[in-house]
Amino acid sequence: MAKPPQSYLRTLSQERIVLWITVAIFGLAAAALPGFLTVGNLLAVIRSVSVLGILALGMSVVIIGRGIDLSMVAVMAMSVAWYLQLLADGMTDGAALALALAGVLAVGLVNGFLVAYAEVPAIFVTLASGSFVFGYVRSQLIPQDAVPAPVGHWLVELGQMRPVGIPVDVYVFAALALVAFAFLRFTKWGRYVYYAGDNPVAARNAGMPVRPMQVLRYVISAFSAFAAGLLTAASLQSINTRVVNSTLLSDVVLVVATGGIGLSGGKGGVRNVLIGAALIGVMMNTMTIVDIPQLYQNLIKSTILLVAIIVDGLINPRDEQTAQQGDI
Amino acid sequence: MQPIVRMERISKAYRGVPAVRAVDFDLQEGEIHALLGENGAGKSTLTKMLAGAVQPGGGRILLDGQEVGFATPNAALQAGIAMVFQETSLVPSMTVAQNLYLGSEKFLNRLRGTYISAQQFLQSLNFAVDPTAMVETLGAAKRQMVEIARAVHHNARVIIFDEPTASLTPEEKRHFFALLRRLKARGVAIVFISHALEEALQIADRITILRDGELVAHGPTADFDRDKIIAAMVGRTLSGALYTQRDTGSLRKPGRKVLSVQDISQGRMVRNTSFSVFEGQITGVFGLIGSGRTETFKIVAGITKRDFLRGGIVDLDGRQVRYVTPAAAVADGIVYVTEDRKTEGFFETMTVAENLFGGLLAAPQSRGMLVRMADMKALAAEWTGRLNIRAIDDTAHVVELSGGNQQKVVIGKGLVQKPRLVIFDEPTRGVDVAAIAEIHKTINDLADAGLAVVMISSYLPEVLNLSDRILVCRQGRIVEELSPIEASEEKIMYAAVH
Repeated sequence: MAKPPQSYLRTLSQERIVLWITVAIFGLAAAALPGFLTVGNLLAVIRSVSVLGILALGMSVVIIGRGIDLSMVAVMAMSVAWYLQLLADGMTDGAALALALAGVLAVGLVNGFLVAYAEVPAIFVTLASGSFVFGYVRSQLIPQDAVPAPVGHWLVELGQMRPVGIPVDVYVFAALALVAFAFLRFTKWGRYVYYAGDNPVAARNAGMPVRPMQVLRYVISAFSAFAAGLLTAASLQSINTRVVNSTLLSDVVLVVATGGIGLSGGKGGVRNVLIGAALIGVMMNTMTIVDIPQLYQNLIKSTILLVAIIVDGLINPRDEQTAQQGDI
Repeated sequence: MQPIVRMERISKAYRGVPAVRAVDFDLQEGEIHALLGENGAGKSTLTKMLAGAVQPGGGRILLDGQEVGFATPNAALQAGIAMVFQETSLVPSMTVAQNLYLGSEKFLNRLRGTYISAQQFLQSLNFAVDPTAMVETLGAAKRQMVEIARAVHHNARVIIFDEPTASLTPEEKRHFFALLRRLKARGVAIVFISHALEEALQIADRITILRDGELVAHGPTADFDRDKIIAAMVGRTLSGALYTQRDTGSLRKPGRKVLSVQDISQGRMVRNTSFSVFEGQITGVFGLIGSGRTETFKIVAGITKRDFLRGGIVDLDGRQVRYVTPAAAVADGIVYVTEDRKTEGFFETMTVAENLFGGLLAAPQSRGMLVRMADMKALAAEWTGRLNIRAIDDTAHVVELSGGNQQKVVIGKGLVQKPRLVIFDEPTRGVDVAAIAEIHKTINDLADAGLAVVMISSYLPEVLNLSDRILVCRQGRIVEELSPIEASEEKIMYAAVH
């Protein structure tokens, strides 16, 4: 008897499953690993997911509206690298920041414009723009892979701040999560993201400004990438552009997908990002303590991503399949 | 005689909602078996289980007395059961011949040989279709021919037609029926799913009627008439109440002229068409599929753009407008209620309340950037009541509703925008009989309240019964205006095809 697997999965939301898995891993790690349940380690867990989480917030806004932004990590590293390089070249802080922000805005606008108005698939636009940004900044604007922050710069000081003993990264992540939550939940344009993610044609016909909203989404993801880059530079006192070639981008998608934000759009929210970030943070920390080699960590993460995408496909079946099944 | 197919106590549920409950159904060789019922009665589901597109939740299927189970539509096709879907399943970017042999190509495939054998095959069926034509260039009727040819080519002994006549002109319909009779003479068993009761009575040998997933009546066609079928379909008698003859006194007088369109054109679909729409009236628009009626009004609603050069003039309250986005039209109080609610009407993963609220968020009167969820609840409560949208509650998802209730949601989503001009495109397509009456009442109420209402429909009784004036569209232009008093189905159809 072929019992449809969906009906069982539907009763258990992905969110709850992931939450339970997180709790389970946490419990196991706390019981089995001596160094895990210390304040220092727990702070390290939260801190390690802060940058990832900020990137995932921007990515989630794009994905909920039925898109994807593969240029985020390039924008994150290259914008901050350029900013620090301008400072090193002697430009005033205000001017350098303004230039960097303008560059970030431009990338977001170009991404959004190409996706919304030229109707090029987001995955190709952002893949190309990401490698363009990396290539251009690396070859024309900065001389080395890594750019250090100037001594005594506010970023360095920010990175060393510990209000109430908690690293500043955590506060920034929390604040941005609140902003993203408020945007998606309580603003009109935030709601448009969901409607357009569910059915772009219906949203447009109803009179929603679908295209401007799409552009806004890519601008938001570009700025959240810049914020994540600043935070990275603050805690490491430099930015290394080789992060563009790391697994960071797939980690971001991993956080979004495991958290339960449907990759086909229209579903999920900030809560899902937090849950996804919690799972990935606890998992990566555990794997590091257990001392699993980096190669295997990547293998494990990519397996989980694959599973998450398959589960997402089962839970949110769209396109012709639903179109036909909808008509009973 | 042993039936080709016997389905015994077949059941199916979607997400715990039963769609088909313990239905028995059988098919004899060389018969046309009409399967009737309201939308959501389970006709499509029942036949999809037979064709392997949906897996049964219970019961068994016997083919020539042998129990069978089809995991895929292809497995069913191999066993001789083919289904011609409502939305055709042809590949638009391939030629007719390629579609014909799709999935049964030889390992080494020669295009020329394919064309020659396709030509011979189509001729043997008496189908005037060019095998080298791209499917996307064909009209609905020819596509259907290709689909049928494909079924016959696979030596199908059972062919299931899901709403085959919905997109055909009367002429094409006659050809189609002749074809059905020829297939029948060859011994093919045909399942004919339709909303059009007259067609079923005309062509079918036997009739089976489903209601709410249960079998309510079946027997030879001679045992049925229109009233009996409707009574079985809806479970009560309301035939006749829906469509009555109009008299002069019931016509609404035209109010202020709201919309005046002069000579608008768009590509090949809309050619130099001109017309006006008045307040406080229902302007019925009749035209066959492909006559450009939808395209014309999509221009008015800003969904598509008219030609840049010589595109014509659209006047709203004497002011010339040229909308680039639907948002601009919505801001001016124009709402278009789509004919295709699934792909461009509702938001399928969302609840009834969210769908209705979406309309409000996009409306000109929704000022400010902030959204209050309490507003959504109030709005949903108000409009589910006003339009009598029947869902478990307003947190039910739209996809779980019946066609009629989905349509009400789409209408509600438009009406919350407080429009002055509402364009309904096929407002009752795929809607059950009870909901049709309610939707008609909604449309009448809007006109009575002084709104300008346009109703595009290809269902003549509906056009005659609701309209205060009737525009007939043919080949991209409005060719005639009739009063519903003087008009008859024949007159309108004559204007639409000649």
